[in-house]
Amino acid sequence: MIAKHVRQGWTSGPGRWAMGLLALVLGLSALIVAPLATPAQAAQDSPAAQAVHGRTFRVATDTTFAPFEFRDSSGDLVGIDMDLIRKIADIEGFSVQIQSLGFNAALQALNSQQADVVIAGMTITDQRKQVYDFTDPYFDSGVQMAIAKDNDQIHSYKDLRGSVVAVKTGSEGEAFAKQRAPQYGFSVKAVDQSSTMYEMVKSGNAQAVIDDYPVLAYGIAQGNGLKTVTKKEPGASYGAAVRKGENKEFVAAFNEGLAKMKADGSYKKLVDSYVGNSNSDKKTSASRPGFFELVRQAFPSLMLGLRNTLAITAISFVIALAIGIILGLWRISPNRILSWIARIYVAVFRGTPVLVWAFFFYLGVPQLIGHRISIWLAGALTLSLNSGAYLVEIVRGAIDSVDVGQMEGARSLGLTRRMALRRVILPQAVRIAMPSIINQLVIMLKDSSLLLAIGFGELLYQAQQIYAANFRVTETLFMVGVIYFVAISALTWMANMLDRRLHQ
Amino acid sequence: MNFEDPDMDTGRLTRRIRQNQSRRNQGESQMAVSIRDLHKRYGDTEVLKGIDMEVKPGEVISIIGPSGAGKSTLLRCINALETPTSGTINVYGIDISDPKTNIDKLREHVGMVFQHFNLFPNMSVADNIMLAPHMLHKTPKEDARQQALDLLETVGLQEKADARPTDLSGGQQQRVAIARALAMHPDIMLFDEATSALDPEMVGDVLEVIRSLAEGGMTMILVTHEMAFAREVSSRVIFTDAGIIEEEGTPEQIFGHPQSPRLQSFLSKVL
Repeated sequence: MIAKHVRQGWTSGPGRWAMGLLALVLGLSALIVAPLATPAQAAQDSPAAQAVHGRTFRVATDTTFAPFEFRDSSGDLVGIDMDLIRKIADIEGFSVQIQSLGFNAALQALNSQQADVVIAGMTITDQRKQVYDFTDPYFDSGVQMAIAKDNDQIHSYKDLRGSVVAVKTGSEGEAFAKQRAPQYGFSVKAVDQSSTMYEMVKSGNAQAVIDDYPVLAYGIAQGNGLKTVTKKEPGASYGAAVRKGENKEFVAAFNEGLAKMKADGSYKKLVDSYVGNSNSDKKTSASRPGFFELVRQAFPSLMLGLRNTLAITAISFVIALAIGIILGLWRISPNRILSWIARIYVAVFRGTPVLVWAFFFYLGVPQLIGHRISIWLAGALTLSLNSGAYLVEIVRGAIDSVDVGQMEGARSLGLTRRMALRRVILPQAVRIAMPSIINQLVIMLKDSSLLLAIGFGELLYQAQQIYAANFRVTETLFMVGVIYFVAISALTWMANMLDRRLHQ
Repeated sequence: MNFEDPDMDTGRLTRRIRQNQSRRNQGESQMAVSIRDLHKRYGDTEVLKGIDMEVKPGEVISIIGPSGAGKSTLLRCINALETPTSGTINVYGIDISDPKTNIDKLREHVGMVFQHFNLFPNMSVADNIMLAPHMLHKTPKEDARQQALDLLETVGLQEKADARPTDLSGGQQQRVAIARALAMHPDIMLFDEATSALDPEMVGDVLEVIRSLAEGGMTMILVTHEMAFAREVSSRVIFTDAGIIEEEGTPEQIFGHPQSPRLQSFLSKVL
């Protein structure tokens, strides 16, 4: 099935581009546009409800912050935030259009008027209150400690002496842990993802984790192999945010709906379904599915990820190849300016990590130009400019390795340098360069996984989303490894076929 | 200096070059090649130390001399594959060191045959021969191919038209290279040690082709180690040593009555 997909994506000649474009469109739409919630049929007649009746609010949120927002096994965006805002919209009679962008991007969208509301497990702070107006707090968070399920030694913070405690970079948990570390004599190790912290505890690289209580509680309910032994620490509250002074009607309607849900018990039921201790609710009754059930659940989003991976690689490779050939020719050009431009380009992009450029194009450039850059554009720029630098050197090396007599032979007949390059030198250089070009394509496909850092929905990113929700890290990574291996093997095989045909 | 007209046929161009030339510079109007005080230096090494030489249309000149004497460099200067350090080179009256001269256009009239053939391995034998006429003279494909087949026949390789150069022997490749140069109807042919890379049994066929060109009246300059052939085919022989022309004359003078001790010593080694 995987192999079939790859072959369809790559062998069908002209259809390849259509596939790439299709994947691009699919990827974009799945990434950004979540289903519209339908307005309620019977809204209450309160003034707050009347003010928002029939209106649609654009709601921006994070991509994955379980249990507040994440994709379930069928790919739908669910979670406390999602369920809550849809339910309140229902009660108050307005519509929401949800955009799953990532936390920082959601705030940017709000600032640039591309969204009206952000709901993303966002802590209400005094600093943020200067920029945004918040709804009433809809969730009281706070941090909590968890340890491995089979750990009998740790019962309180006191037992942590000499241990390693995993926390999430920049989180409240990190601040709390660092503050207590001297007192209790443990060391703090900060990582980027909740699932990574849990795996550290389970693998013994850390003895405990301190994380946001709802995230932790959800993970434990999902059977992530941890348990809590201490109480949660009181902490911050979450609210939905709007631009300061705007959309007051939304805030009023949200507060009213929230109050109603709290009064009739539906709020507690909603929250408990994600972080409750009872195993009775169906969303948390995680009798661990077997491996093949896991494959079945993960398959659709992994295939989406594979499609995005192949599409961004294909797009970037075409651009990189153009860069490689054009700047490769500049590099050997007698024109010193062109030659130096190519040299500097190669030096800069070979001398800097791919990730730096990914962040730069996605986060840095928009602030320079004052305009959001699509993640596909940022991703394609990152990969193609990086690979392009290597291809420039590959092309240059290949041209250099064509016997100098070939150029002299062509020029002695009266051919111009350009004609000689095009008809005599380049055809021979391409043959020489082919194995290196194929190699660069494979490197590029693997490097595309780095784009997960900016939230690009490629294969490894999808895998992270999956295990951020189900905590089956090992099995999910195994699947991803197999898919990469099959895809790259198929790609290499086809490229070599093409190469061989070219050599006949 | 009307080198820009792409549709011009060779004969007409040559006449025009000569007419322009004779109007400007009566004295050298008859020369195919005229070289004045040519110096060529690579870093600290001076390879050519002041060469003066003239070639009349229809002459066959052989340049002989020991290795490192600058023979090939001299030849390569004539079609601007090397840039002289100083001095002037006129080809049919055109100063090739003048930056205004279209070197590409000039090279269409100067055929060159290399020691290592330099055939293009990415195309067939016929395509090698057709490439320049088709691209530069806009000769239609069919006509260019017919011409290629005719030329291959004259060098005895008609049946190899669709072979790849790499499938041919060295001698066959060199004959294809000669046909390729002839396809542009050059006014002068330069041979840079055309038989040096060949197995001995291949040399004869290539020399045979060159001999028939000489008999047809082609202006030619040969850098060669084939002394017997040089003696037989040349109208004039030039002996170079250490970057200068040491002695020149008819084959009879050079090979029969060498004057300078260096030429005598050279001939005693190679004959």
